[in-house]
Amino acid sequence: MTQPTADQLLETSQRTFQPKEDAIPAPRADCIADSAGGLTFDVLDGGGSGRAHLVLVRRTAEEDVVRLPLTPVAQGRLRAVLPSGVELAEGRWETHIRVGDAEPRRLTPGINDLRALVDRSPDPGAARIAVRIPYTTKHGNLSVRSWLRAPHAEAGDLTLGQDRLTVRGRLYGAALAQGAHMELSAGREGPVLRAEVTAEPSVPGGFSCTVEHGTLTEGAWRFRLRPAGEEGPRVRLSRLLDDVADKHDVFHYPGTDYPPSAPSLHVRPAYTASNDLTLTVTPVP
Amino acid sequence: MHISFLLHNAYGIGGTIRTTYNLANTLAEQHDVEIVSVFRHREDPVFDHVPGVRVRHLVDLRPDTADAADPERLRPAEVFPHAEARFHQYNALTDRRIAEHLASVEADVVVGTRPGLNVHLARQTRRGPLRVGQEHLTLDTHSPQLRRTLRGVYPRLDALTTTTEADARSYERKMRLPGVRLQAVPNPVPAPAVEPSDGSGKWVVAAGRLAPVKRYDLLIRAFATVAAERPDWRLRIYGRGKQKDRLRALIEELGLYNHVYLMGAAHPIDPEWAKGSLAAVTSTMESFGMTIVEAMRLGVPVVATDCPHGPGEIISDGTDGRLVKVGDVKAIAGGLLDLINNDEQRQQMSHAALKNSARFDPARIAERYESLFADLGARTGGSAGGRMRGSLHRTRAALLGSAYAVRDAGHAALRKGRTS
Repeated sequence: MTQPTADQLLETSQRTFQPKEDAIPAPRADCIADSAGGLTFDVLDGGGSGRAHLVLVRRTAEEDVVRLPLTPVAQGRLRAVLPSGVELAEGRWETHIRVGDAEPRRLTPGINDLRALVDRSPDPGAARIAVRIPYTTKHGNLSVRSWLRAPHAEAGDLTLGQDRLTVRGRLYGAALAQGAHMELSAGREGPVLRAEVTAEPSVPGGFSCTVEHGTLTEGAWRFRLRPAGEEGPRVRLSRLLDDVADKHDVFHYPGTDYPPSAPSLHVRPAYTASNDLTLTVTPVP
Repeated sequence: MHISFLLHNAYGIGGTIRTTYNLANTLAEQHDVEIVSVFRHREDPVFDHVPGVRVRHLVDLRPDTADAADPERLRPAEVFPHAEARFHQYNALTDRRIAEHLASVEADVVVGTRPGLNVHLARQTRRGPLRVGQEHLTLDTHSPQLRRTLRGVYPRLDALTTTTEADARSYERKMRLPGVRLQAVPNPVPAPAVEPSDGSGKWVVAAGRLAPVKRYDLLIRAFATVAAERPDWRLRIYGRGKQKDRLRALIEELGLYNHVYLMGAAHPIDPEWAKGSLAAVTSTMESFGMTIVEAMRLGVPVVATDCPHGPGEIISDGTDGRLVKVGDVKAIAGGLLDLINNDEQRQQMSHAALKNSARFDPARIAERYESLFADLGARTGGSAGGRMRGSLHRTRAALLGSAYAVRDAGHAALRKGRTS
């Protein structure tokens, strides 16, 4: 078998190589989150004339639009910043790039660096909690989920026992006062229950709440913290302060049958599509 | 050099495909590189390639193509070995197209990327190009029938590369391939596009298919011990697979639902490693151990079982990570807790992991391939003696422009000069 000599190797290596024209790829955005709730988007400059904007669109009855200027930074990239101070209503926001008068183009996800969100613990005194988590949609596009809460009750560790569920949480933008309790309701017209809430002084804003299974009937129970009793605000209990856009599949809990001796109800905590804590109670078959 | 890779499907997703793109992209900085994909089933490849890498296919399986309806596809393959795992995807049409390709390939080096394609390479490459087979799995994982086939055909290769030294030794011991250069070349892992972990998060991260061989059940059991002692630390397992429901049931049975999370798949995975301060690998077998290198490249030290074949060749135990006994929950928990309880040691290991994993950079791995190719070229065309060594030096200088690599090649050429 004849093999190439080193001279031949040298010769072939010096052949120049013409890069082919690349097709225009779908614009891709890298996204970095900061711990305050701000997001920075970096997009490769695809050229075009006119000023470039990052356009966030929330599909509701009336279209909600936020435009952020994309300005050139190093290495042919454009950058847009969404500071935590800029209001972004709760919901799902599509991301687009628009250059001049050209048609906006949907952005696809590049690298989402969300490490700053993983164990977010904002100042408990913060008047308002802004949460924005970039995620990839079913169709492979980049969107941002937004939550805006004032005050906010964050759900933490859950302990599901045979007789009761204990939820640990933290309250932001309000303080627990006399008469603080958790309100549980199953549907608009359904019954309303009260569960005990105690402050956990070791954690700023910390509280724990215990729900006795014996008080529950069938239904999907939602939690509302009443930090100041009947007179004060009604604060949804949600899990928002991390990098997981959709909690349901990741924060997954077992269920338990109640009462243990002769079970008639199955009780299981879960998160809803909007990341609110819920307790589903179904009959044991 | 003109280097031509032969890949099962350059349009798919998977370790071998990713590795081939990483290597091809880097080699293309100095060489003329193409990836020839036996199959094409979609419009565009999933992985990016630089403009210098050409990607083309031999059989087009996109809907409504002439190939998709070709009756030759109904006849079984005769060259592609029957005992190969992907035999059912090959047929008379692939036999013919691959043969035509290899009979006319314009390349100095052809590289096969799986056993069945290496067989094609060995039997059908025209006279001239170097024939280099890659083993991305391991000899142990091949059936006795496949090993027999390979033993008969591989002597016609110029070189066979494995991803670990351990596997190269098995080939040496069990296969006896006279005249075939056996060389371990690890998989390349590019520098991550995100900053390394700052080591502040109290998270252990694992990532991989949720498959029995990964033994995530052991990791979860070990984490019960970890959480009992250090409830402030938590575990994230990224990936999907058939074991998901079982693993979830185990997490719930052990009451670890506030500590162990099944995160689903993540692409890219680098930002997820960066969220951890420790990583864990608890497999019974790793052909190479790509995730170990990925974590280390983000400065995340890995506690890994000392299983065949890769972990022990990647991790320097006690320096840039920890190796623990295979299948041993207590040992895994102990390894994790040692580093969880010692911030300073963990931080030191993080620095060492970052530094030591740079040897897997595609540039460094590409250099090793370049040395191998140049060396093989020198060996087979080496009758010119002194002139050969001189020209090889020039070649290396022209190809690499790197003093380090030139020195290596010089040694290699000298060695060859003495022995041949």
